[in-house]
Amino acid sequence: MSASWKQLFFQILLLLISCRHINTKTPGPTSPPLDPISPLPTLERSYVLKGVSHTERVELLNPVNLSLMCTWAGNQNKPSNITGFWRKDGEEIENSRVTVQLENEQYNLKQKFSIVSEENLGSYSCVFGGEAKIDFDLAAPQIGDVRDKPIVSYVGDSVVMTCKMEENKPKPNTWNWYMANDTGKEQIFPAAEPQRYEIKNDGWKTKLLVYNLTEADSGLFYCGAVYPISTTMSHVELKVISFYEPLKPFIAIVVEVIVLVAAILLYERSQSKKDYTAAGNGPGDQTNSLTPGENNALEESSSMRQRKV
Amino acid sequence: MTKARPEAEGQSDEAEGPDGGWGWVLVGALFVSTSLVFGLMRSLGIFFVEFVQYFDESAQAISWISSTGLAAQQFFSPLGAALCNAYETRLVVMTGGCLAGLGLILASQATCLTHLYLTMGLTAGLGWGLVFTPMVATVMAHFTRRRTLALGLAFSSIGLSSFAFNPLFQLLIEKYAWRGALLILGGLSLNIVPCGALIRPQRRSKAAKKIASESKPSHVSLLQRVSSHLELSLLFERPYITYTLAVTLLNVGYFVPYFHLVAHSRQAGFSEYQAAFVMSAAGATDILGRVVSGWFSDLGHFRLIHLLSAWTTLAGVFIMLLPVSSLSGSYSALVSISLLYGFCSGALTSLVFAVVPMIVGVERVMGGLGLLQLIESGAGLLGAPLSGFLKDVTGNYIASFIMAGSFPILGTLTMATLPHYFSCKDPPAPQRESPDDKEKSLHPELEQMNSLPSDTGH
Repeated sequence: MSASWKQLFFQILLLLISCRHINTKTPGPTSPPLDPISPLPTLERSYVLKGVSHTERVELLNPVNLSLMCTWAGNQNKPSNITGFWRKDGEEIENSRVTVQLENEQYNLKQKFSIVSEENLGSYSCVFGGEAKIDFDLAAPQIGDVRDKPIVSYVGDSVVMTCKMEENKPKPNTWNWYMANDTGKEQIFPAAEPQRYEIKNDGWKTKLLVYNLTEADSGLFYCGAVYPISTTMSHVELKVISFYEPLKPFIAIVVEVIVLVAAILLYERSQSKKDYTAAGNGPGDQTNSLTPGENNALEESSSMRQRKV
Repeated sequence: MTKARPEAEGQSDEAEGPDGGWGWVLVGALFVSTSLVFGLMRSLGIFFVEFVQYFDESAQAISWISSTGLAAQQFFSPLGAALCNAYETRLVVMTGGCLAGLGLILASQATCLTHLYLTMGLTAGLGWGLVFTPMVATVMAHFTRRRTLALGLAFSSIGLSSFAFNPLFQLLIEKYAWRGALLILGGLSLNIVPCGALIRPQRRSKAAKKIASESKPSHVSLLQRVSSHLELSLLFERPYITYTLAVTLLNVGYFVPYFHLVAHSRQAGFSEYQAAFVMSAAGATDILGRVVSGWFSDLGHFRLIHLLSAWTTLAGVFIMLLPVSSLSGSYSALVSISLLYGFCSGALTSLVFAVVPMIVGVERVMGGLGLLQLIESGAGLLGAPLSGFLKDVTGNYIASFIMAGSFPILGTLTMATLPHYFSCKDPPAPQRESPDDKEKSLHPELEQMNSLPSDTGH
């Protein structure tokens, strides 16, 4: 009986030791873990290459076990063996070189990747013999329309900045807003300054409200759509100007109006003076209370004026 | 022409206009002020996106701003006309220009939606009401033979200025945000004031006669004065009521394509750019139609009322054909019908106002126009919601367009009931019966002179 207990003890010891080995990470931050044990959902993506290269976009929301399969029909001469390997972001992945056999006039490359966080996203390529390649661009849903013109607002006023994810794409879990400063991006927490910032998240849309603007608030603001796999960023530019900016053209227009009115009235006065000296009539064609007789005479003089013009 | 009737001009402002000279300067003033009133109103839609975002309100609440503005302009038109009858036109128009500018300047400081309703809607609308009707009446008083052409040229500004204002407003908003843009627009609206300054001070013989004839002012005569300034007596005359009803019916259907054509084109399967191009094309032929119709009407081959009926019927027919052309899937058919619709709708706008002096007589034009604007405003309120309702019920725009097209045709039928409609010559324009009759007996040549132009001058 003690022998079986000892056997059990040794088996447990061995199990613990081997578990520790399994838990250590594979070396190199750029090479993704191959064939992990953790229970992630599986996703398959494949492509059959007709030409020499192709790019395929893969939109990912959550951490997955991604299985990529590449098929190539080959070129003129179809050797029975070619070497195939995988690249991530242009760099060859270690230990990924294999020899591919020609099956049914096609070459097949298949690889599983564990995509758990932002570092695992990027461009994965399968390369056949250094000639043909298929790129798989892995990314979280991207924000489509980015406003390229800055939003303008005034000192002391408030502003609303929005970011929108297209509704045909998956809904983000939440949104974060960041302010650009000298050292990069700094997240905005409305709770810290409730008088200044307010964030309203509404599914595919988010709004950042900034109150009591100052000129220092001008600059880039970033909105991030948070997904389990990573956060996609977009930016909005804010420009804060003082109220004197539009006041300048406004004053110019008002001056122009005053000048025009003065010119018209002066011109009219000089015209009527000419008529008075010519016709010898007294002033008063502007008064209303006239008897018909006077009306007659004055209208003749003003009608003469009309004809002159 | 002016030399032939110096006494006619000289006698009183009841005579027909001198047709030229200073009149063309006033056409230019009307051109500028109309573009600053209606051209501006049409382009205000660009601000709406900004307002929706800034004030966090629904699009419907924001669209009430321009509805309020338009309604105020039409509602205060009789007031503007009455003030011109009582006081000087020049002063009224200059005040209107100041009010319109002030409304927009104050709107730039708005902190809530109600502010915008009061400033951009009510105040600016009041200003616009004091400007438009008096200026149109003044220009019409200065022309007889070329009246429709003058009006056509001046009203072409609406289309031209919407072309110019759309990119301009966009630029202003990008540079200065909506507050700065509204401030600058307020300044631009102040340009109406020099336009008003161009109106020569007139002999207000009507006011003079009233003051002369009524020696003892009392409450009764005050009411009488107000009602005569507002020309309320027109409301009891059958020709005027008939004409106003016809124009109101026309207005119900007239605006519907502007609201729904783009949405309908999109629904029929055309792209955004194609749909927008259709509207722009219609706008371009609208401008052309105004000028060409003005020139053609003044040639004198046909009576103005007949031409107006023709254009109105054609416009109604083309509105009804619009859904047919887009349903058949042919883009070229849609574009050509829209071009024709644009031309007809522009053509009839030149004539709508020019016919009024024929019906009410020259000296009552001011009040007549004011009341016409007020009554036809109801039509605009009816047309768009009704067509929207029909679209919601039937699911597409066919019923809306057919309904909209039938109203101008009804308007034409109503016009046909005007007295002397089917005669080939214009009937003599009605003369005002009042203490003026005493005047006329003193100046018999005046009466003769007055009746002559009505027959020969179209």
